[in-house]
Amino acid sequence: MRLAWGPEEEAFRAELVDFLDRHAPKRALGLDFATSEEEGIPEWSRQWQATLFDHGWLVPGYPPELGGRNATPVQTLIFQEEMAARGLPRSLHFPGWAIVAPSLLEFGTEAQKALAPASLRGDMVWCIGMSEPDAGSDLASLKTRAVLDGDHFVVNGQKVWTSYAMWSQKCFCYTRTNPDVPKHKGITVLIIDMDTPGIDIRPLRQITGTTHFAEVFFSDVVVPRENVVGEIDAGWRITMGSLAHERGGLWLQTVSGVDHALTDLVGLAKRTGADGNQAVRRRLADAYAQVSALRALGYKGFSSFAQGSSAPEHSYLKLATSELQKSLFELGMELEGPAGIVVDPAHHEGAGRLAFSFFTSFASTIAGGTSEIQRNIIAERVLGLPRGK
Amino acid sequence: MVQRHEHDDPREGLSLNVDFTLSDDQQLLRDTARALLDKECPPSLVRAYQDDVSAADRLWEHLLEWTELGRGPLVDLCLFLEEAGAVLAPGPFFATSVLWDGLGLDGIGTVAFIDDVTMPYTIDADLVDQIAVVVPDGAVVIDRSRLTLNPVQTLDWTRHLVEVSGSGDFDPPRPFDEEALRERAYVAIAAELLGTARSLLERTIAYATERHQFDRPIGSFQAIQHKIADMALVYEEAWSAVYYAAMCIDAGDDDRHRAAHVAKIMAGAAATRAAKDGIQVHGGIGYTWEHDLHLYIRRAYQSEHLFGTSDWHRDRLAELIL
Ligand SMILES: Cc1cc2nc3c(=O)[nH]c(=O)nc-3n(C[C@H](O)[C@H](O)[C@H](O)COP(=O)(O)OP(=O)(O)OC[C@H]3O[C@@H](n4cnc5c(N)ncnc54)[C@H](O)[C@@H]3O)c2cc1C
Repeated sequence: MRLAWGPEEEAFRAELVDFLDRHAPKRALGLDFATSEEEGIPEWSRQWQATLFDHGWLVPGYPPELGGRNATPVQTLIFQEEMAARGLPRSLHFPGWAIVAPSLLEFGTEAQKALAPASLRGDMVWCIGMSEPDAGSDLASLKTRAVLDGDHFVVNGQKVWTSYAMWSQKCFCYTRTNPDVPKHKGITVLIIDMDTPGIDIRPLRQITGTTHFAEVFFSDVVVPRENVVGEIDAGWRITMGSLAHERGGLWLQTVSGVDHALTDLVGLAKRTGADGNQAVRRRLADAYAQVSALRALGYKGFSSFAQGSSAPEHSYLKLATSELQKSLFELGMELEGPAGIVVDPAHHEGAGRLAFSFFTSFASTIAGGTSEIQRNIIAERVLGLPRGK
Repeated sequence: MVQRHEHDDPREGLSLNVDFTLSDDQQLLRDTARALLDKECPPSLVRAYQDDVSAADRLWEHLLEWTELGRGPLVDLCLFLEEAGAVLAPGPFFATSVLWDGLGLDGIGTVAFIDDVTMPYTIDADLVDQIAVVVPDGAVVIDRSRLTLNPVQTLDWTRHLVEVSGSGDFDPPRPFDEEALRERAYVAIAAELLGTARSLLERTIAYATERHQFDRPIGSFQAIQHKIADMALVYEEAWSAVYYAAMCIDAGDDDRHRAAHVAKIMAGAAATRAAKDGIQVHGGIGYTWEHDLHLYIRRAYQSEHLFGTSDWHRDRLAELIL
């Protein structure tokens, strides 16, 4: 066990810090959870993603032609640390570079792999069509039907909660190709161009008042057969979170985000005088203890990851960080007192910011596997408890 | 959270990183300790110790050899203490390796904190040869026979808690770093608590797997699964927090002051959560004297109260972060 990296790693860090000092957009610093009140894909986000790609800092573990620099796992972690410390997302819009490109590189045909650079650089924008009205946590029960007809599929059905659908060129879409086999065995991933006739995108306004996701309806949408990713009926293998070599440090961004939120709360408590209240002091101290423990747990996970063992810490971190995030913003609203419910930015400086963050944080315990699903995974897969019915 | 990195200044990057990989020696230490303690300290010994401290004599012969860990890195001592906490090992190992060795003294002893809200008792004072009594400008080393000992019956009989008093002409106090000793004690007791929490968790998982009701193992009921998942989560958080704190202390890192409080808070939370939810999962059998569960529950709550309750540590931590 030890506390610091060696000089080579620190040299890598210095080069990165120099790059970030020169190029990181001010607008992006401190964004943390990569959520923004800005709709669409802002120009600064596009440019930043492209700049990262062009300088080999988008996915450092990839080779230069894919926006990386063949970084080692420890170097990748250092990169994640520096980005997280600044609350700096790589883009406001993650599906293309973080999920689709790695999946194409792993499972795609040569022609599909050729889409990866543009997807990473942000020139090609993607959405991910997994969830449906009747298929959420139980994703494998999805019904959007794709029927093969010669050299093409005909797709009918509906996706929902599809983030960024209205700004995307392509959808990485999970479809039902065989309804007669066990549900995991009849799923196929198709690349669907969003301007194909028969696609109807209806944006959904979110709880925060902004609009980032949509319902997507497919009526007799024709998709060329060569748009199958991987094998027909074998789509279940192509699941989320495919940046395998980054998995050891993905927690850093959320843990640091919570850490930053806590720092803000400490400042708020001092400004409002709530820091004189023992109950508040204890809650803040307890939150501090949890954030510190989670950071340590993340590094513990990285240590096993770097040694090639599978790290169950991921489920623990997802569960704990998202729940803590919600409770921190809730505490923040409470500390603000009557000002906490004001959302008119003209009323006072920063009005509504915490409320916005609080509402945004509701998504963290739902999207990407709900807290209950994480507990199921921990109980059955990590701790080996008998399976439920 | 490593607060010394001010995020107000985005130029300052993180420079603190933690590698939790155990070295081969540490792995060996842990495996050896686990094998030894499992063999030498079964629950029957823990029970017998209540009425007869000589039940632990043979165990103490073994433990004595390991007290020298108190002179090495805290991480290594914690690895051993974790295993000792897992079997509720009785005797003056903690007093000697953590407190006495922490003062750099030879032999077998303990440390008495007088008039201290966090530690009104002296740990295992009746079992050691010498006691270092903390006074304003250091610690006075006194033979046990020259002090008045009043053992207090407490929840957990595996750790004797004693009120110590005395007057007379003693040697002059030896100066020592009291803050360092205290922080070492917080982290060390937290490491023990980890072991106790782990045993509670393991026993609970085993019981949830064996015990059937409604023709199913109770561990397949989601209400039970989620309880156990939450127990495991706090345990994992605590484990990482404790070894992080131990590493900070070994490295003399500035973050050690905060990390020591965090370690005690988190380990207390892990052990008491495992105790409460563990007994709930066991149902009626867990409520009996005959079942071993209460031995761990006693240790969990007693240690949570030693060297400052969790709220006491939250108050200290608040002073450091606010
Ligand atoms: C902001 C946001 C963005 C999203 N973006 C996308 C996107 O781009 N693409 C996409 O495909 N999807 C997206 N989603 C959808 C997301 O993946 C689903 O919301 C999520 O998987 C949960 O599914 P559900 O909403 O149908 O809830 P349900 O699965 O119906 O869950 C409802 C409740 O039941 C509980 N529950 C369900 N099953 C179990 C079980 N087995 N045990 C215990 N409890 C259970 C859940 O935990 C939850 O509390 C997004 C969601 C949000 C909030």
